[in-house]
Amino acid sequence: MRTFKLYAALVGAGLRGEAQYRGNLLVMLVAGMAYQGIGLAFVWVVVDRFGAIGGWTLGEVFFLYALRLTAHGLWVVPFSQLNQLDLVVREGEFDRYLVRPLNPLVQVLTRRVGLMQAGDLVGGLLLLAYATTIVDVDWSPGAVGFLLLAVVGGALVEVAVQLGLSGLTFRLLSTRMLRIQVDSVFGTFGNYPLKIFPSVARFLFTIVLPMAFVAYFPASVLLDRTGELAVPSWFAYGSPLVGAALFTLAYLFWSRQTSHYTSSGH
Amino acid sequence: MTVVRAHDLVKEFRRPKRFTGAFGGLRTLLTRQYTTTRAVDGVSFDIEAGELVGYLGPNGAGKSTTIKMLTGILVPTSGQVEVAGVVPWKERERNARHIGVVFGQRSQLWWDLPLRDSFRLIGKLYDVPREQYHPNLERFTELLDMADFLDTPVRQLSLGQRMRGDLAAAMLYNPRILYLDEPTIGLDVVAKERMRAFVAELNRDEGTTVILTTHDLDDVERLCSRIVLIDHGRVLYDGEVAALKARYAPYREVMVHLAHPDEATAVEVPHAERARAEDGKVWLRFDPETVQVADVIAAVLARHQVSDLAIIEPELEGVIHQIYAQRSVISARE
Repeated sequence: MRTFKLYAALVGAGLRGEAQYRGNLLVMLVAGMAYQGIGLAFVWVVVDRFGAIGGWTLGEVFFLYALRLTAHGLWVVPFSQLNQLDLVVREGEFDRYLVRPLNPLVQVLTRRVGLMQAGDLVGGLLLLAYATTIVDVDWSPGAVGFLLLAVVGGALVEVAVQLGLSGLTFRLLSTRMLRIQVDSVFGTFGNYPLKIFPSVARFLFTIVLPMAFVAYFPASVLLDRTGELAVPSWFAYGSPLVGAALFTLAYLFWSRQTSHYTSSGH
Repeated sequence: MTVVRAHDLVKEFRRPKRFTGAFGGLRTLLTRQYTTTRAVDGVSFDIEAGELVGYLGPNGAGKSTTIKMLTGILVPTSGQVEVAGVVPWKERERNARHIGVVFGQRSQLWWDLPLRDSFRLIGKLYDVPREQYHPNLERFTELLDMADFLDTPVRQLSLGQRMRGDLAAAMLYNPRILYLDEPTIGLDVVAKERMRAFVAELNRDEGTTVILTTHDLDDVERLCSRIVLIDHGRVLYDGEVAALKARYAPYREVMVHLAHPDEATAVEVPHAERARAEDGKVWLRFDPETVQVADVIAAVLARHQVSDLAIIEPELEGVIHQIYAQRSVISARE
């Protein structure tokens, strides 16, 4: 409870700080949405050319894309500062977070507010709202509930991977490129139905990089396509839980890695 | 009561071995060989509540590394450390409530916000109750003369103003122990003096234990009664400043400016030797154990006309310089 209050206070401070640069604020928001718009245009061109991908209609792929983007937007907004962890660790800024009575991760995450990332979330939510109207799904309370859980679970899966990798920063000092690469794998392949990939890739994207849990599995459940999955259907229904479990593991790993922090200078 | 206890503290840093020459960069990247440096090599000391200790050493001696282990930032390679009954790196959040930390080279204030906002956030972070927060802020604002820039964004503050802000932020929650790492670096004379006066007052009035690392020996002369001197990660000296001076600079000097410059070489005083003579000035060196200042001066005045006169105390700087040059361990408090 105390942590949440402090989190809110620090985010508030971050926002007031960003508000000092109003021009930047607006440009960042627009840039974030434009960047995602290009991604969507690409998917649209592909589907438009081929009519459907792996049996998924344009509307269904669109829904998958929106689900992925919303989950992505949901974690990149609060976790945007994970991107700066290399800098925070290498330049010794992390010192400060270790001598204050608050979880160091919370302090890293609130050092600034991710505005460009807010563009991802807003874009994702708008698309998702639209996508739910063009797919053939009966939006019963259960379906809506699963959709919400799936978005949160998907966000947790992605953030778990990023958090786990960033934990290595305390030893390796630089993991930014690694994280960007992994994020771009999620952003590139996560927008398509997994079944169009060869089986090796399907295995990799399910077990090694648990990308399938972000959007593909939950979308299969909602679109009633679990029958075509290579895994049992309870696997797909359980995706939100997978997110929660992976996130817990990643957080524990990250916390343990902080003891390898070497600060800067002597 | 002992508040800070360090016993046989060691910190080693391990880095991949560096290669030079053809493909050196690649070999450095792939090697499994490591070089280990021992930044702190078996440091022990106890600090009592209310002490004001100077922790000194040349660049790279291991000062900051020790401070980082005391504050819980670094995990020691071996040895024990305990601060106010807490092992800092094991219980960081509990430890954080006992300590205030000022890093001279790095601010803890919120860059884009008015100074007042940083104080408010620090107050929240440390759960400072209202009835403690307001009197503290008022008092520090007055002592550090911050009223004029409380509402200025931190990025627009001068270095001296920012350091005052940092010092106030570190003390807002009345920690028992204050670590100051180079607090006066880059400050002008007036700003330095204001910082020192504030630290001295906190130490005197609230009994705050202060551990100070600095390269400015004026800070030490002004504030510290005890110093711990380290080099190459080992303690060279731990004891009183006065005792160190007595040991390394047992002599005092009297400088006399003669009215008749040509008499300079003729000045003879029993138990004092002529250390230097130039431009009609003579420096007489004597051991205060065998002869008193008054007698030396009287002896000079009896035979010569003197236009000016000064008694020169040994400076800590010269003493420390000697010790670094010798680099030998002095057994403490003998």
